[in-house]
Amino acid sequence: MYRKKRLVLPFILPGLLGILMFYVIPFFWGIWYSVTDGSFQNSFVGFQNYLNVWQNPMFQLGLKNTMELSLICSPSLFLLAFVISVALNRLRPAGGFFRNSVLLPYLMPSSAVLIIWLLWFDYGGPVNRLITALGGTRVFWLQGAELRLPVILLFLWKNLGFCVVIFLAALQAIPESLYEYAILEGASFPRQAFSITLPLIVPSAFLVFILCWVNAFRIFKEVYFIGGAYPDEALYTLQNYMNNMYGKLNYQNVTTAAYSFAVIVFALFGLLFFLQQRAQRGLN
Amino acid sequence: MRRLKGVRLKILQGIFLLAALVMLLPMIQTFLYSFASMAEMKAFMKTRGSYDESLWMDAHLIPNMVSLGQYHQILITDNTVLLLFFNSAMYAALILLGQAFFIPPLAFGLSRFRFPGRNGMFFGIILLMLLPFQVTMVPNVLTLRGLGLIETIWAVVLPMWFAPFYIFLIRQFMVGLPNELIEAAEMDGAGTWSTFLRVILPVCRPILGAAAALSFAESWNLVEQPLTYLSTRQDLQPLSTMFNQLARENTGFEFAGAALYILPALFVYLFFQEDILSGIQLTELK
Repeated sequence: MYRKKRLVLPFILPGLLGILMFYVIPFFWGIWYSVTDGSFQNSFVGFQNYLNVWQNPMFQLGLKNTMELSLICSPSLFLLAFVISVALNRLRPAGGFFRNSVLLPYLMPSSAVLIIWLLWFDYGGPVNRLITALGGTRVFWLQGAELRLPVILLFLWKNLGFCVVIFLAALQAIPESLYEYAILEGASFPRQAFSITLPLIVPSAFLVFILCWVNAFRIFKEVYFIGGAYPDEALYTLQNYMNNMYGKLNYQNVTTAAYSFAVIVFALFGLLFFLQQRAQRGLN
Repeated sequence: MRRLKGVRLKILQGIFLLAALVMLLPMIQTFLYSFASMAEMKAFMKTRGSYDESLWMDAHLIPNMVSLGQYHQILITDNTVLLLFFNSAMYAALILLGQAFFIPPLAFGLSRFRFPGRNGMFFGIILLMLLPFQVTMVPNVLTLRGLGLIETIWAVVLPMWFAPFYIFLIRQFMVGLPNELIEAAEMDGAGTWSTFLRVILPVCRPILGAAAALSFAESWNLVEQPLTYLSTRQDLQPLSTMFNQLARENTGFEFAGAALYILPALFVYLFFQEDILSGIQLTELK
């Protein structure tokens, strides 16, 4: 650890200036936008923009969908990744092929994959073929609320690998001897999972959960590719709203919606952080 | 962890093998279809979107006749895809170059120096990492307009140089490095810069490789930034924003286009695979 404060400047100054210019200043500048009226005088209007935006039905729809989608996506991604990594960890050293192929989708560009995805979920496509083969009836996957499922599956397919890799790294860092001792004591498998595995990976699990959530908020990319700027009501996200308002040059509404969203994101993060701290203390 | 043995091991292995194949299927199918003739793919893609109960899409995986027609079309006859591909490559290259220059020193400063405000800065970077792009979109447009960069490639490239996620990733790795490394370098009379360049960076190879691969994936898949910052410049758009449109037009060469689009990401993945795995394993992700 270096202590001479002067020496750090050449390392961090260029980067910090960039962050200041492209992230921090815009962030605070945006707050100013959300409390002015955008007219020629640009007068201060207090929370009027917030009142307007929160009463806007499209904003409400976008917020509802974004929250619902992330509430479906992030917990299912988290659980799926946890179960797979525990199973994969028991499979060691086999299972390397799966580990390698599960990470690949994370690097694949969405729009290239989407062609195949839309083929699979076509009315006459393989997914409906499978459903009818199992005795069901065909589903209109690419219309209305059903469109959510392909989007959610695409999200899981793309993000699963990264979460599994982080979980696996944490699982592999747990010393083998702990389990041997537990087996000697006669602990069952679920008991081992909850009393040994879970407490030791809380920090990594927290990070995975945050990443799941952040990526779930970014699901807009796939929605935009499938549905364009005005997708079906079931998929109209907050980002759609912001982008469309931006297209109409309504900067006040964009920034107001953005800050409303940011406050929610930060509050959720704060809550999760608080819970993680408590969980860790409780488990120690 | 208890190891599985016998039949149960075999069953679990079988399940995982099957799951891996399903995960890889979209890429495999893209590559297989890219060797079908354009006429075949046009006919095939026309059967999409039919709601006739009695009709099914053809469920073949292997093209009826192997042909390089699609590749001939996108590489030689028509250069639309190729130009977009080069745009994407340019963005990825410029973004990675800038990141290589700015991010590792910043991560080093935030991890191996003690100075007031350090933890606050790092906490700020984590908060920025959580923010969706749209939150700072409008002021960013105004800033970039003020700098005269809007509607140029730099509007997309410059903000990415300071992407908070990669600062976080590399900083976490550097925090975990043993102090002896730096002490030994100091004993040999190395200054901070030569320690950073000759001792720290080589040790950080896995995480730098991982960050480069992840950042490449992000740059290769840019959507929001080109759409907002380059809204009037059709000619500067990367493949990521335009490809969807091309695929929708039923051109017959969409699968060769997709294969070409996927290929660099695939190479990057194969090249950095070990770095991603070991980089994440060695990082203090807490």
